[in-house]
Amino acid sequence: MSHSHKPGESGADLPHAAPTVEEITDFEVLEIAVRELAIEHGLFTAEDHRRFTEWTESIGPAAGSRLVAKAWTDPAFKARVLDDAVKACKEIGIDWAEPTGFGTPSDYMNLRVLEDTPTLHHVIVCTLCSCYPRPLLGMSPEWYRTTNYRRRLVRWPRQVLAEFGLIIPPEVEVRVEDSNQKCRFMVMPMRPEGTDSWTEEQLAEIVTRDCMIGVALPRPGRTADVHPVHKARHPVQE
Amino acid sequence: MPKSKPPEKVRPPADAARFKVGDRVRVKDMPNLFYSRTQMYIRGVVGTIAECTYKDIIPEDEAFNRDGRIEQYYIVRFRQKDLWPEYQFENDTLQTESPERWLEPAD
Amino acid sequence: MSARRDLLEQQALIGSIQPAVHVPQNWNYEVEAPLFKAYAHPPHDVGGQFDAPILYEEKEEEQWEANVYVTCEVLGWRGVWNSEERRRRADNDLGYALYLGIPYYGRWIMAAARMLVDKNHIALTELIEKIAEVKARNAKK
Repeated sequence: MSHSHKPGESGADLPHAAPTVEEITDFEVLEIAVRELAIEHGLFTAEDHRRFTEWTESIGPAAGSRLVAKAWTDPAFKARVLDDAVKACKEIGIDWAEPTGFGTPSDYMNLRVLEDTPTLHHVIVCTLCSCYPRPLLGMSPEWYRTTNYRRRLVRWPRQVLAEFGLIIPPEVEVRVEDSNQKCRFMVMPMRPEGTDSWTEEQLAEIVTRDCMIGVALPRPGRTADVHPVHKARHPVQE
Repeated sequence: MPKSKPPEKVRPPADAARFKVGDRVRVKDMPNLFYSRTQMYIRGVVGTIAECTYKDIIPEDEAFNRDGRIEQYYIVRFRQKDLWPEYQFENDTLQTESPERWLEPAD
Repeated sequence: MSARRDLLEQQALIGSIQPAVHVPQNWNYEVEAPLFKAYAHPPHDVGGQFDAPILYEEKEEEQWEANVYVTCEVLGWRGVWNSEERRRRADNDLGYALYLGIPYYGRWIMAAARMLVDKNHIALTELIEKIAEVKARNAKK
């Protein structure tokens, strides 16, 4: 997505000024400027930023995978998940009140877990931005944030799912959940056949992020979401 | 030192919920200006209340940091065929959330 | 500092960012109701708009993007803004050209910078000088 086009590019014979070689991009500059000014003005502290970053680094889809695997093997837990998902999350070590004591500013504390059945398949989107259950699934994938996915999923869900390699039979109801306000949603897919003797750990491995968004289904042997990857120029430092 | 928590706001109490699960509602088409979280594609369409979720400040107030009005929110379920004229699959549905002021009784 | 020639090239690029280049619609004396409705429509409300299939890629996160997310959330944590304000400014107040033209977290940081100025936490001159200073600090010698 890095098409640099320069209308009006002409007169190449004119001499350029000695180029300022940019070590960092404009967004990197703006990010540093805003963060430093906010800290200098006491709007937050460097320690706040560090603490929140630490929390961000601790989240990821593995928590959601654990939740689904446990629900598959423990009907009482599944009932608690469907009844009050935020409360049930505590049983797998996820506290939605972290890292501030009242949750993150953007994720709220209204999680709903949507249970697939033989006649119902769920898929989530946020057409207005990219609302996503971060405490349970980590940061949203970039494709989930694109206007393309947001435009099309609500109107052509079966076509978009097919592009992800998922064909839903016509007799199964496809239910799109447009997460536009303060509820957050996660899909609990059906436990696939051939996993009867599996442990929770084994089951969790096939419950990938895409399965919990609803653009893939778990099956034995499928343990990763495979998409082309756009590499970062300056990736996050561990 | 920064405050440890956003300032608590004194908010007027919410009215009792007007709709219950199963009620048929139509999404209002009020004019847009600057901000809304009520999508264009659901406006004027009739759906069914699937869940009464929570009471909270309405987005058009909160987006401007006003001590806004508190309302009941609902998850509303629509038939895809009611949303899109060309939709081919009879049983498919879509759900989204709405505060009470954007909904009116359909029957 | 850019040379005059670079500034002229820049001007041509700015002129190419139009609301819609395929219809003449600058400087209307009157705006019919449907067009007004279209202009007043919040840019973030895209559900159901036509678009062609694309490759749904993963994107490795840039360090600055991770920092922006945290900065915006910490500003919320400390009561400087709420998420609905952020979503409004990041997704809508920037307008279509920026909304569609810059990266996801680019919107967030532009929105945060604008909010700090709008709410008088910082002066615009202060922000501009800081940007120049950060650029100078990081420029290749």
